[in-house]
Amino acid sequence: MMKNIYQPVEAVIENIIQETSAIKTFTLKPKTDFSFVTGQFIELTVPGLGEAPFTPSSDPGIKERMDVTIMKTGAVTSKLHEMQKGQVVGIRGPFGKGYPLHKFKGKDLLIVGGGVGLAPLRSLLFSLFSTIDNYNKVLLRYGSRTANDIVYKGSIGEWAKRDKFDIVTSVDIGDPSWQGNVGLVTTILKDMPIDLNNASAIVCGPPIMMKFVTLKLLDLGFKPKDIYLSMEKSMSCGLGKCGHCRLGKFYICKDGPVFTYEELKDIHDIWD
Amino acid sequence: MKMETYFLSNEDILKFYDRIVKDYQLYVPVKTKTPIKIACDYGFSLPTDDYILKEYSAVNKEEIVFNEYRPIEPVRTFFNQYKEEVGEYFAQETIEKDKKEKPVAISGIKNCDIFSLKIQDFVFLGKDDDIVDPFYKKRRQDALIISGDCPGFKEACFCRAFDINPYCEQGFDFNLSVLNNGYLVDVNSKKANLIAGSIRDLLTPATLGQLSGRSAKRDAVIRKLDEHLSHHKIPKKEVLQEIVKAGHNSQIWHEQMRTCVECGGCIFMCDTCHCFLLSDEISGNNSKRLRVWDGCLLKNFTRVAGGGNALKMRYMRLRNRYIKKFDFFIDNIGFQACCGCGRCIDVCPGRIDIRNILRRLYDEKYLPAS
Repeated sequence: MMKNIYQPVEAVIENIIQETSAIKTFTLKPKTDFSFVTGQFIELTVPGLGEAPFTPSSDPGIKERMDVTIMKTGAVTSKLHEMQKGQVVGIRGPFGKGYPLHKFKGKDLLIVGGGVGLAPLRSLLFSLFSTIDNYNKVLLRYGSRTANDIVYKGSIGEWAKRDKFDIVTSVDIGDPSWQGNVGLVTTILKDMPIDLNNASAIVCGPPIMMKFVTLKLLDLGFKPKDIYLSMEKSMSCGLGKCGHCRLGKFYICKDGPVFTYEELKDIHDIWD
Repeated sequence: MKMETYFLSNEDILKFYDRIVKDYQLYVPVKTKTPIKIACDYGFSLPTDDYILKEYSAVNKEEIVFNEYRPIEPVRTFFNQYKEEVGEYFAQETIEKDKKEKPVAISGIKNCDIFSLKIQDFVFLGKDDDIVDPFYKKRRQDALIISGDCPGFKEACFCRAFDINPYCEQGFDFNLSVLNNGYLVDVNSKKANLIAGSIRDLLTPATLGQLSGRSAKRDAVIRKLDEHLSHHKIPKKEVLQEIVKAGHNSQIWHEQMRTCVECGGCIFMCDTCHCFLLSDEISGNNSKRLRVWDGCLLKNFTRVAGGGNALKMRYMRLRNRYIKKFDFFIDNIGFQACCGCGRCIDVCPGRIDIRNILRRLYDEKYLPAS
């Protein structure tokens, strides 16, 4: 019989990092090597409970294990947060189309992340690190709710030291220990050293954040075709069959999850 | 291969079925009474009985009929079951158990169902093995489709509005057309040919007279159905996408949903709906994965963890269904995902009628407000 597209592959939880009170990064070691392209997503199974879609946050160059950074929000993620090292989960995928790195060649890249939306972007950053000669510069603008909600705290400082990288972070609600910008992520999208005629913007975060960042980018002069958005819905099968993630004429799972705003701008209610 | 047509007399239809049941699990049409009656409001006297498909070995032979129109259940139920185990993990053996199912033979399928199978095939099959639903594919390729002409239609039938004829010319293995004291039998596939070869004594080549007799009957049904549909004024298939797009903010969606009780009947009886949810259960030391029908008229269809729901209001869900059928599918396969079978009309306790909605959308776009 042919391949069963619904069957998960076994993966062991090798490590767990508590990123924030509600976010953990799980390192998974699948039974067999598992490759993905940055921006593609997987379906992660909690045995007996069900699946949920996540975009891996690790370096796509590493085939034998992957990181998935997960915020506790629903049934599957709550159960995942209770799980321990050594326990077994399932994975299916990878699904969809990732970030079109070839289109970013020779460009200034503006990466805008919000909250746990930095997870897929971290995998993108790893991909950029290994091909950095292809790009002029990389700006990362990251916003989280409070300083305690920042993911990959230890890494952001290191990334900022890299050649060609320019990183600014912001929190919505400040506190005395926070030295950086206070305000929504849109407040740090200004005075950017970027050539708008030769730039691509990559946005990932909650829908409301992506909406206002997109509006801001358009306002700044970005063209719709140069704005890349990571869309998400309740993807179930990942293969364009179950019908849950339709958006206009697309299925997010197979035609996305990365779309340009140009592709989406005429579709109703894309941020809902 | 060239399609051959034979004549099979009434007395021999059971022998024909008996031959098929040797290799297949055969389903045949049986008449049934349902409380659902949609009366015709302009004087046509149309049948209101229904047909269901029952397993041949489980019915009294005298109950078996030739159904005048499509059966109650959509044909997809034979290939994509309402709730089906599609995986077991993480047992030592994660390879699928070879389910020893006899392939099905389905008699009583009509052309609306054949049209719908094009949509189901588009969704569940594919050029690439990585996206093929193996359970659907196995059943679909092994099945024997015994379609039939529609000598009649019921009130809810509207296939011809979308230029779908009430008789089949392709997509079947056998097709039966009632004629005089028997049937014309079209043989349209290798597997059908093999069966026909083994019962050659029952079959006589169709004469030109019989073939033209069939054409005349088909034309007569079309004329009557077209007259029926002229009262419904259903928009042509060429404008469906346009009117659904134009009607995005129409009040129709709100008005129609006033009587919706969210039973999901329309999505589950629909011949072209295909949505499902993968749902997992504990099963002993193992876990199993089920593929369960789902649909966009149900309120949690697009709900995500954290509570967001793109289709949170009922009118959005009704509209979504029309966008899917008349916008998404036209963009993706070039034709609408509606075959005019009218099952959603028959089943709806709220009397929500797809023909009425399409007509209203058309009127709003093209007729000046008075």
